Amino acid sequence: MKPDNPILSGLALVAGLLFLSPVLYSIWMSFQTSTAYYTGTVHFTLVNYEVAVGQYNFARYLFNSIIVSGAVTVIGTVFATMAAFAFARFTFPGNNLLFAATVATLMIPSHISLIPNYLTLADAGLLDTYAGLILPAISNGFAAFFLRQYIRGIPRALDEAAYMDGATPMKVLWRVIVPIAKPAILSMGLYIFIGEWNNYIWPLVATSRENLYTLQVGLAHLYRLNPGEGLIDWPLVMAASTISLLPVILGFVLVERHLIRGITMGAVK
Amino acid sequence: MLRKLTPYLFVLPLMLFIAVFTYIPIVTSVDLSFRQWDFMSADKPFVGFDNYRVLFRSDAFWNSLWVTTVFAVISVPIRLGLALWFASALTRETFARRILRGALFLPSVTSTVSIAVVFSWVFATDFGMMNGLLGVVGIDKVRWMQNPDLALGVLIFINTWKQLGYDVVIYIAGLQAIPQELYDAAAVDGGKKAHVFRRVTFPLVMPTTYFLLVISVIEAFQVFTLVDVMTRGGPAGATDLLVNRLYQIGFTLFDIGQGSALAVLLFVLLVGLAVFKSRVLGRRVHYEA
Repeated sequence: MKPDNPILSGLALVAGLLFLSPVLYSIWMSFQTSTAYYTGTVHFTLVNYEVAVGQYNFARYLFNSIIVSGAVTVIGTVFATMAAFAFARFTFPGNNLLFAATVATLMIPSHISLIPNYLTLADAGLLDTYAGLILPAISNGFAAFFLRQYIRGIPRALDEAAYMDGATPMKVLWRVIVPIAKPAILSMGLYIFIGEWNNYIWPLVATSRENLYTLQVGLAHLYRLNPGEGLIDWPLVMAASTISLLPVILGFVLVERHLIRGITMGAVK
Repeated sequence: MLRKLTPYLFVLPLMLFIAVFTYIPIVTSVDLSFRQWDFMSADKPFVGFDNYRVLFRSDAFWNSLWVTTVFAVISVPIRLGLALWFASALTRETFARRILRGALFLPSVTSTVSIAVVFSWVFATDFGMMNGLLGVVGIDKVRWMQNPDLALGVLIFINTWKQLGYDVVIYIAGLQAIPQELYDAAAVDGGKKAHVFRRVTFPLVMPTTYFLLVISVIEAFQVFTLVDVMTRGGPAGATDLLVNRLYQIGFTLFDIGQGSALAVLLFVLLVGLAVFKSRVLGRRVHYEA
């Protein structure tokens, strides 16, 4: 990275802040009392967070989002890695067909499965359960595709050496492939996590019990509880919004590069 | 024997979930689209193409198709134009450019519900940011979300704001793939900036443009969260995009047959576009070689 002209850096910083200003301001607003906000004074407070967590159950929504996104990420990443390993390393009847079926899921709009998945989970008695929120989101064709490409780039000699030593395929995957493919696997895990954290339409249809709301559904709900122009308690709504935004923003700051690599590798190469 | 089974055991979990939650639902949707059902009744009588007929006769469906098309036709060129402009300016890695790139990219990974809520405030009539800024230059309050002529425009604006960074990142990757020699050659020939852009950058980044064009059209046809949180299709159907229509028919009117018919149409439309995309991408590989 080259050092830059300080004026340019300053301008870029200002432009970036301006671009993000609605979000940044909403975070700032969440620390204001609503009376202070409407009268234009400044009064730092945590009261909106207390109300969001105490009166509106946002701690529970946060917990639900963590459970659901966490489970989807872990299981989804494991399944995608296993499949990617088989697709990359074994020749077996159906390999190409199954891989094609995996990649084709990228083209299939998820909304076609909305009603059927609702019915499937209703039949299984899984609406309004964590399982109902988690199961339909687990398969991730993109992650399997991406990891297969990555694993194909790892020299086969490494696997063969391990097989010589009597390792099972499971051991080869776990001891040889996973350690080498770790950056790619982490990228995909992150990608799955963010996608699921921000998922809205499925939790919306799959939950009717309030204590199973994820953050996104809870936030949309809280926002709607406050209808009518001018009556909305914006600082409270922004506190709830910040609770939903902050984990992803913090994660983003830490791992932006991995994320960008993930999406560009999928799209460009 | 066990050796032969090994690869299948590794792909089984993924394939099982793909089958149950992606492929079987396609078949189910097609089947349901030929039936009349409301989630409740015990039987689901076969009604042939009735659901499609009802859909094609309803103004709401055509309005929704129209609104979605307008959304795509306006938002996609703006997104791509802006993205290419930003990407050209941000290709070289420097500290300032990294900051700006990060700022642009951030919204594409953040929650659409949060963004919808934040922008509901930005475009609120009273105490909103936009009207506040306009007030400074003496312009009267605009009722952004209640005005049918403005509400869709506002949604397009927000969607562009959210997705722009993604497009920029993809464009940067595309631009970086252009061999530097071409620019050097153009510089030796004394090419002007605009000229170099028109004759070198733009044609060589065309495959990326195709890619982004198709995926952003596909995306435009799947917008739901912004609509659901901000307008629920209103005012007067002005923002009633297709997935919102699907959700309304299926989950508020409980007309499963008609909802499924709409889902099947959407599926055919988007898979058609996606197939078109992979053809174009196929050409792109050829292009590079």
